[in-house]
Amino acid sequence: MNNTDPSSLLHKFQFILDSDPLIDEVGFVHPSQFAAISDSSISLDPPSSDDNLKSKASEANPIDMAFWCRDHKLGISTHVIHPLYNAAKHAFMFSLKQYRMVVDLHTNKVVLDTDNVSNALSSLPALESEIMNHSRALLLLSCDFGTAWNCRKEVISKKEDIMLYFDELKLSTLVLSYSPKSERAWIHRRWVIKMIAGKCTDLHEVLKNESELAKRIAEKSKMNYRAWNHRCWLVSYMSESQIIDELINNRDWAGLNVADNSCFHYRTRLMTRTLDDSRYKQDAIENPSHATKFYQLWKEELTWSETLIKRYIGRESLWLYRRFLSLCWIKHFADRMCGDNVNLFLDSELLLFRSSTTIPDNVFEDYESQAMFAATYVMWLIKQLDEFRGLEIQQKVGEEIEEVVSKVCPNKSFLWDLVRMKSGRQ
Amino acid sequence: MWDVNELWMQFEIMILNKGESILITFPKQFLIGESCLIIMGELAAEQHAKYILTIEKKKDDVESVLMEHLRINGAYWGLTTLDILGKLSAVDQETVISWVMSCQHESGGFGGNEGHDPHVLYTLSAIQILALFNKIEVLDIEKVSSYVATLQNEDGSFSGDKWGEIDTRFSYVALCSLALLKKLYKINVEKAVRYIVSCKNLDGGFGCTPGAESHAGQIFCCIGALAITGCLHHVDKDLLGWWLCERQVKSGGLNGRPEKLPDVCYSWWVLSSLIMIDRVHWIDKEKLVKFILDCQDKENGGISDRPDDAVDVFHTYFGVAGLSLLEYPGLKAIDPAYALPVDVINRIFLN
Ligand SMILES: [Zn+2]
Repeated sequence: MNNTDPSSLLHKFQFILDSDPLIDEVGFVHPSQFAAISDSSISLDPPSSDDNLKSKASEANPIDMAFWCRDHKLGISTHVIHPLYNAAKHAFMFSLKQYRMVVDLHTNKVVLDTDNVSNALSSLPALESEIMNHSRALLLLSCDFGTAWNCRKEVISKKEDIMLYFDELKLSTLVLSYSPKSERAWIHRRWVIKMIAGKCTDLHEVLKNESELAKRIAEKSKMNYRAWNHRCWLVSYMSESQIIDELINNRDWAGLNVADNSCFHYRTRLMTRTLDDSRYKQDAIENPSHATKFYQLWKEELTWSETLIKRYIGRESLWLYRRFLSLCWIKHFADRMCGDNVNLFLDSELLLFRSSTTIPDNVFEDYESQAMFAATYVMWLIKQLDEFRGLEIQQKVGEEIEEVVSKVCPNKSFLWDLVRMKSGRQ
Repeated sequence: MWDVNELWMQFEIMILNKGESILITFPKQFLIGESCLIIMGELAAEQHAKYILTIEKKKDDVESVLMEHLRINGAYWGLTTLDILGKLSAVDQETVISWVMSCQHESGGFGGNEGHDPHVLYTLSAIQILALFNKIEVLDIEKVSSYVATLQNEDGSFSGDKWGEIDTRFSYVALCSLALLKKLYKINVEKAVRYIVSCKNLDGGFGCTPGAESHAGQIFCCIGALAITGCLHHVDKDLLGWWLCERQVKSGGLNGRPEKLPDVCYSWWVLSSLIMIDRVHWIDKEKLVKFILDCQDKENGGISDRPDDAVDVFHTYFGVAGLSLLEYPGLKAIDPAYALPVDVINRIFLN
């Protein structure tokens, strides 16, 4: 590939991107795979009269071996990444320098030479489109090139056209298709959404699409902190009914991905929103039936969590999620009701603990983990509950916990010491 | 706003506290004995230094070229590793410093490389590199600190750059930068602390914004920022220590979040946090040392995220820094909050 001319590579790349605006996936392909897929590839050039001759020609021409595009999927040969990146970067940096110079002239109104200034200003639209083209090419090769994302923000924030913002979401989606963890691509989305939110009031559709995208990416790239963080960020824009919808829609996915802690954190965030809503607090007094709705929601979540814990043995995320649910349940619901609700609840948790600590004879690692998580779950609750309740649980299952800890996780016995000290019994 | 004198007093107390906490965290019985070293194999210090020094020569390789937008972070990781290994003198200071200064933007902030836009993350790396060479004075300190200070928002949080993304990482980076420049009085420290505390979760950990998932990297940032401002009393140390010590997996390595694989970089984030909150005795340190040493490429130098993976400068730094926190023999001590060698920090704050 040494004789490949970098600038014609870049032109070809940009030509492909322009001629198929529906490209929704980019990937890098090793030349060995490339030969195989190229055989069936559709020609990117204007149709030729002799297809046989054409395919022979592509083998000879390195540029034709650089890209592969079909069904709106774009493959880039790993062999051309380096020269293509260099060409895109130089083109971008060059236009950027000129663009910023012109913008400076404009904002500082240095009217020493009026002709020069107006000449420079007339070149602005051309420079802007160069910047947009080159930064797009660059970001499809180097996803976290911050300066390239920034100058796109610079250019479009000066325009009134809201559709430009939707184009930015599309580019960010394309970048995320090859680099789902790209921090800058996710940041760019949030900036764009904030700009859209400032221009139009109905974000319903945008939020739905964003949540859908985060879900799709989380599917391919497990435990992706940035994708789930983006989804959590959307929660603050959601209405109460959207929160409930998300909880329901996400449930099946969570049940199939029980090791994805980020997904359970997302549920934590949604469940917490049902508590923070000032409406909820207001309703508890004024509209008891509305409050019952939340009570029911939390109760169902606890039941579901228990089902998962019993079905999927030894999953840390499930137990951590239960720590959160139980503590909030006690604080926000059980404690507020008359009768002995907290004790009833805690008794049922101790049953869960006991049923989770029986390890079958042919010891499986997962069952040992389950026993450890069950023991640390109860110890954690003792630590987080008030002294009186903590002491009560300790009296009920203290010896059993000690036994489990010394059997499956003796290295965690200091946590038991800590818990005992907390509730005042050495 | 904060009273300047009050801040200075707070600073002095903090440094004293720091000295004390290091003494407390490493009582003699926790030191790793020579006998363990024989069992665990050794740190290939020479090879790691050589590996770092050759990266510079490979800057035209495709891997380096694709990372050029954050080269200044890479320089900080590499140079700090060399300093911990006692090999910083092998580097040509002048070249590094003039290159670092060429990354400065007219706003006062630094870009990740020449001609790149400024960001607070790169600004801290620039300050840290200069600190390593005892050359902070080449900076226009007023200008740099003003750049960082303007990134503070009304609620006390920090944006990473003028485009406004907010993250507790940026809070740490801003507070650390200003502390190293002795310009903390330029911002509202009380509000900055309040924002960080608002990112605390029910599990005791911290996320990047209020309500975001706890993550060891974010926890390091929040705890580091609270340590730097002398505000660790906002933390339930037992609860956070609980979450952090649950990051140690069977192999001895640490993960950054529940259910994730262990990774050498978390040796730094989890470990430094545990040290700052005085709970490092809650993990098995010998097993962690063994895990890090297992991730070395003993022949060609460098450390990877997990045993048998490809090495890189990022994990080499975190591996060596982690071993330094574990008081591995022959390594310079590193400060858990500032992420710079202790002698560099002492030079800044005690002189
Ligand atoms: Zn890592």
